[in-house]
Amino acid sequence: MKNHQPIFELDSFSFSFDKHDEPSLNNVSFSLYAEEVTLLLGASGSGKSTLTLCLNGLYPEAIDGFTSGDLLYKGRSISSYPKGVINQEIGIVFQDPESQFCMVRVEDELAFVLENLSIPRSQMKQRIEHVLDIVGLSQYKKHNIHQLSGGQKQKVALASILLMDPQYLILDEPTANLDPISSIEFIETIMRIQKERRFGLLVIEHEIDDWETYAHRLIALNKKGEILLDSTPKEGFINHLQELRSNRIRVPKRYVNREIARPPSSEKENKEVIVNLKNIQFNYKNKQILNELSFLIKKGRFCAIVGENGAGKSTLLQLIAKLNKPVSGSIDFLNIPLSDWHENELYKKIGYVFQNPEHQFINQTVYDEVCFGMKLSGYSRVETERMAHQLLTDFDLLSDKWKNPFSLSGGQKRRLSVATMLHSTPDLLLFDEPTFGQDAYTISQFMRIVMQLNEKGTTIVFVTHDMDLVDSYCNHVLVMQEGNIVYNGTPKELWRRTELLERARLRIPYRLRSMNEEMTV
Amino acid sequence: MIHSLNPTMKAITIIMPAILLSFSFDIITPAIMFIYILILTFFFSKLNIKKWLFYFIPMSFFALGLAWMTMLYTDGRYATGPIIFSFLSFDIRMGSIIVSISLALRSLCFIGLSLLFAFTTDPTKFMLSLMQQARLSPKLTYGILAGYRFVPTFRHELDMLKKAHRIRGFGHAKGWRNLVEQMKQYFIPLLAGAIRKAERVAIAMESKGFTGSKERTYYTVMKIKFTDYLFLSIMLIILIIAYYVSYRLGTLNIFGHRITP
Repeated sequence: MKNHQPIFELDSFSFSFDKHDEPSLNNVSFSLYAEEVTLLLGASGSGKSTLTLCLNGLYPEAIDGFTSGDLLYKGRSISSYPKGVINQEIGIVFQDPESQFCMVRVEDELAFVLENLSIPRSQMKQRIEHVLDIVGLSQYKKHNIHQLSGGQKQKVALASILLMDPQYLILDEPTANLDPISSIEFIETIMRIQKERRFGLLVIEHEIDDWETYAHRLIALNKKGEILLDSTPKEGFINHLQELRSNRIRVPKRYVNREIARPPSSEKENKEVIVNLKNIQFNYKNKQILNELSFLIKKGRFCAIVGENGAGKSTLLQLIAKLNKPVSGSIDFLNIPLSDWHENELYKKIGYVFQNPEHQFINQTVYDEVCFGMKLSGYSRVETERMAHQLLTDFDLLSDKWKNPFSLSGGQKRRLSVATMLHSTPDLLLFDEPTFGQDAYTISQFMRIVMQLNEKGTTIVFVTHDMDLVDSYCNHVLVMQEGNIVYNGTPKELWRRTELLERARLRIPYRLRSMNEEMTV
Repeated sequence: MIHSLNPTMKAITIIMPAILLSFSFDIITPAIMFIYILILTFFFSKLNIKKWLFYFIPMSFFALGLAWMTMLYTDGRYATGPIIFSFLSFDIRMGSIIVSISLALRSLCFIGLSLLFAFTTDPTKFMLSLMQQARLSPKLTYGILAGYRFVPTFRHELDMLKKAHRIRGFGHAKGWRNLVEQMKQYFIPLLAGAIRKAERVAIAMESKGFTGSKERTYYTVMKIKFTDYLFLSIMLIILIIAYYVSYRLGTLNIFGHRITP
């Protein structure tokens, strides 16, 4: 495959945002070829996204960055191409489905691309219909983009890139925000099109299990933005496993020795009920979101709420925390109706970690952030200082204590947002997709902390898409579908309900998938 | 139907009478215009009357308040004629009443015109029309359109922020100073989020081949049709008729100058 001319050639290429900064990409040399599917791996902050924008010709121009070394596209320096040419030949699909469109309707967004290329109007309609047919969204032509699901939005993004008929396609974590089934559907769609059109493909993703089988090649970057590895996926994952893992890169689960899942500790069954919901109904803008829900969660449980996007999971979590009021029905927390709780008292006992940890930051420094709740609860200064020190040590944030919360890394922000909830030992901690968009190391570190809290007696409830997490940590799982609870029980039992899993768009965890495979072999 | 008119032409048609009306200080001229605007609103546009009233009623209270104040503090030039009634220490003369009713009617005309435009115009089409008819640069046009998409996201974000702060015991602000302090707390994360999103959209647009160049084809071609000129002409004719009727009745008053036949 490497006998013809490469699409991209990088020769000791470096990139930095500022002359005095450490470079984000450091002395990188490799070539990318047409028709080849390449996986680009690296922990957060290793310069993957920077590299894609350099390949697309948007950097360094867009932000006045500094480069050295060569970056050639089809044998010519990328900076020598006129504006807009490279963009049309190299397509990118980005991570965030919310912020890559500028028009309201699907049709108009696709037309926007064709207009940029000055395609005559007479051809537009036919091209738009054709590309929507390819990605399987024909019936959504006239729909508003913001009403589509995450998976559909990513397909619209893909369609608009395909309209440019690119030579090379870059996918920058395209499935990170999608539920598991939408994610597989997206991968299958793009690989089908790749087979037909034979463009080169560069895939960046944290969760690579489903991509790996399609890939011809693997390139990994280390923390400093240097090339760590350039090989075939199989070779890389088998022979360099430790190297990859020590660089905080998540490897496909089939290459990792099966870690023994914590046996769900249902033995130390607690009889006490912490949350009890009865006939909960919730509407938003005259639309029914939750429909006659009833369930209870027992003290000390590690409980997951799962289901596809838009099933009402986050809404439910907010109802439990009294952040929303149900239209009808009752919620008891510790056997007292939520409406009878005074907010100050309630939020000493309930903690809530939002999907975006930045939302919870109020103060200028990490230290003040941790102390904030303690001050409100009226602890003495000495005690506050002692507790804050302990928390910062536990959460590995001590060296960053005088930093601004907004300047922390993604994983640190997440840890801080949990730490701010622990000024008094909460009885119940609620998490909204806590592991979303994070690398392997950050997730395992985070889950360790949550486990410790659970062992100390805090009930954990979290919304997630990650079934492997559910499988290895939870002893209670609620499955939601279109505003209803369709399953309420243990994970173990859930994995046997194949028909239900399919209906709720869930995937059984890897552990069981591989067991099934072994059985069929 | 007003929905199908060209947005740029519609904007001109709405702005022109709004400017020209501001010269008349009598009652008859704005009253005739206001009736015409109501006819347009109720019979020539398919808008939801309930929704329209939802915006119109609070805004008209503002207009009435303004008129009331004008009546109490009328400029000496207009406060002529017999004293009609006294309110506290104010003597209200005939002239003051006329001027304030005129002001109220003019305000209602502005409100009616603005709502008519807002309720019958698709924002996307308005921007596209500004680009195609008024030569607004594509950079600005698509920039504004991309920003428009974020309005609902922004609202959602603010809602989440409020909830997140409530959980942390930073809930209900009491008093003005705390409220201002709290808005500051929301402002920084909102701004940070907005900047990040703007950057992402800009990069996504560029990677879709957008360069800001004016040489582009159009999928939705916005045209100015005969009906657009017709709408503008009728609007101006009604305005002229309104002025003329007032002139004939001897009530016409332009900037305080009585003009009688």
